[in-house]
Amino acid sequence: MSQNIPSIAGEKPAGDRLPPTADGRSVALQGRFSIARFQSLIALFLLCLALSILSDKFLTVSNLWNVMRQISVNICISVGMTLIVLTAGIDLSVGSVLALCGAITAGLLKNGIEIPTQNLYIGFTVLGAILAGGLTGSALGAFNGWAITRFSVPPFVATLAMLTVARGLTMLWTGGFPISGLGETFQFIGTGWFLAIPLPVWISIVVVALAVFLTDKTRIGRYIYAIGGNENASRLSGINVNKVKIIVYTIAGALAAVGGIMVTSRLDSAQPNAGISYELDSIAAVVIGGTSLSGGRGSILGTVQGAMIIGVLNNGLVLLNVSPFWQQVVKGLVILLAVIIDKANSKNE
Amino acid sequence: MPKPIRYLIYAAAIALLAYNSVYFKKLDEVKAGTTAFDAAGYAKDFWEKKLTPGLSKAVDLNVLTSLLEADKEKAFNAHSHALGIGNIRYFLVRGQGVVTHVDENEVSVQLTDAGAKTATPHVRIATEYIFGNAVRDASGAIDINAFTNSMDFNNVSAEINRIIRDTVVPPFKSKVRKGDRVVFTGAIELNRGHLQTNDIEVIPVNLQIEKP
Repeated sequence: MSQNIPSIAGEKPAGDRLPPTADGRSVALQGRFSIARFQSLIALFLLCLALSILSDKFLTVSNLWNVMRQISVNICISVGMTLIVLTAGIDLSVGSVLALCGAITAGLLKNGIEIPTQNLYIGFTVLGAILAGGLTGSALGAFNGWAITRFSVPPFVATLAMLTVARGLTMLWTGGFPISGLGETFQFIGTGWFLAIPLPVWISIVVVALAVFLTDKTRIGRYIYAIGGNENASRLSGINVNKVKIIVYTIAGALAAVGGIMVTSRLDSAQPNAGISYELDSIAAVVIGGTSLSGGRGSILGTVQGAMIIGVLNNGLVLLNVSPFWQQVVKGLVILLAVIIDKANSKNE
Repeated sequence: MPKPIRYLIYAAAIALLAYNSVYFKKLDEVKAGTTAFDAAGYAKDFWEKKLTPGLSKAVDLNVLTSLLEADKEKAFNAHSHALGIGNIRYFLVRGQGVVTHVDENEVSVQLTDAGAKTATPHVRIATEYIFGNAVRDASGAIDINAFTNSMDFNNVSAEINRIIRDTVVPPFKSKVRKGDRVVFTGAIELNRGHLQTNDIEVIPVNLQIEKP
């Protein structure tokens, strides 16, 4: 399969669906992808235009930076979700994993570990606490991947179980209370600036760059698309499907941890109920960004556009004083619309 | 690169990370000089020396709702407190009104304007479930950075709520009847993003009944 085949949504197609021609382009798609590939960007532009007309607060510098900070967390989670969805999987546990990793980072930073029987106190630096949070996310992600591949549990079910387990562990770790007062150094991650840009935005840029490199320039990136396109064919062609899936879920867990650390740092507090429904926002970003839920087709940059649409939509609805209940309705309809467009695109192919 | 050298580099990197990540101390040294935190004592001290004297600064609920309607941001900035930067903010408020309903969990009060005697929205004074951090955070008088760990900080909140349950609520709850005129001071929670002022719950700090 080739990764350089432009699809109508500007995404990378599954190799078994869209064989490339000699010049590297799909015959079926030539000549009609030009507008459709920018549909997410066009939607984002129209959304911004409408909001700037409807609210005088939308196009202010402080609001736009605020939106970017909020989007940064969803981008990190959604990048991991994209990799999973590309393999035709799903991860419902990212919100809970985010909460647990944020809580573990905050707990270790604030309280360390006491081992009375050994008369030992283990303290954690900011670096140590962040590493521990990241490792926790990676481990939970790896466990998801292992459960899915080892026992053939549907990803939906395995990650739904992890959603509950991680939330329960978060409650146990925090005792149901927020862990606050984490120090200025740690707060800088979520609230600091670097070269006139908020640090969370830099973090999301790095995450996106690494993910684009992974999907476009590495062997495992090609395997991810191949598995999503046709898992059996991939297995028969010698790809270690289970290994790739475990890696993908591990990366998604690690990125959920990154999101958790950013949220905790920004609030200077690890909230036991953090991240609730974040999985829905990230799935929405992935779908709106043009990644097919059946796998094999999509891109990281498409997801970034999707996350921006969700973030701007959230911000706009708040600025317009739309009831939170109606906000959920609107977001649901937008996701539905995105899926319908995706289906129509797939049919055209 | 030969495998042994590669592994050596990995090991060195891990060791360097670990060295900069954790530190070890004897537990008794860490505990030395830090006596067990007395949350109950701290809460009692806070109640008597900071909260009660500061109640005179509580904003009138009628005034607050008017301010919120006129300029929400200004009202939040002037009168609310909170930890962090979330939308949930806490206010220390006072008010007076007529009891319209009494049940096991709460007392509903129709606020009255002290001057104009005009009808204003209902509030619910909690008399059973006194939980959360509303009073601690609304006061704005406790700095989280003064605590060595978050458990102590949260225990202060639990103890403040216990004082309310033990000393503020019982004398009020046993006497209050529908039609009574009440004067109250307490803490409320409002969401800056999704403001609802027609169903406010008050966690009481001071309650008085004025029989008609």
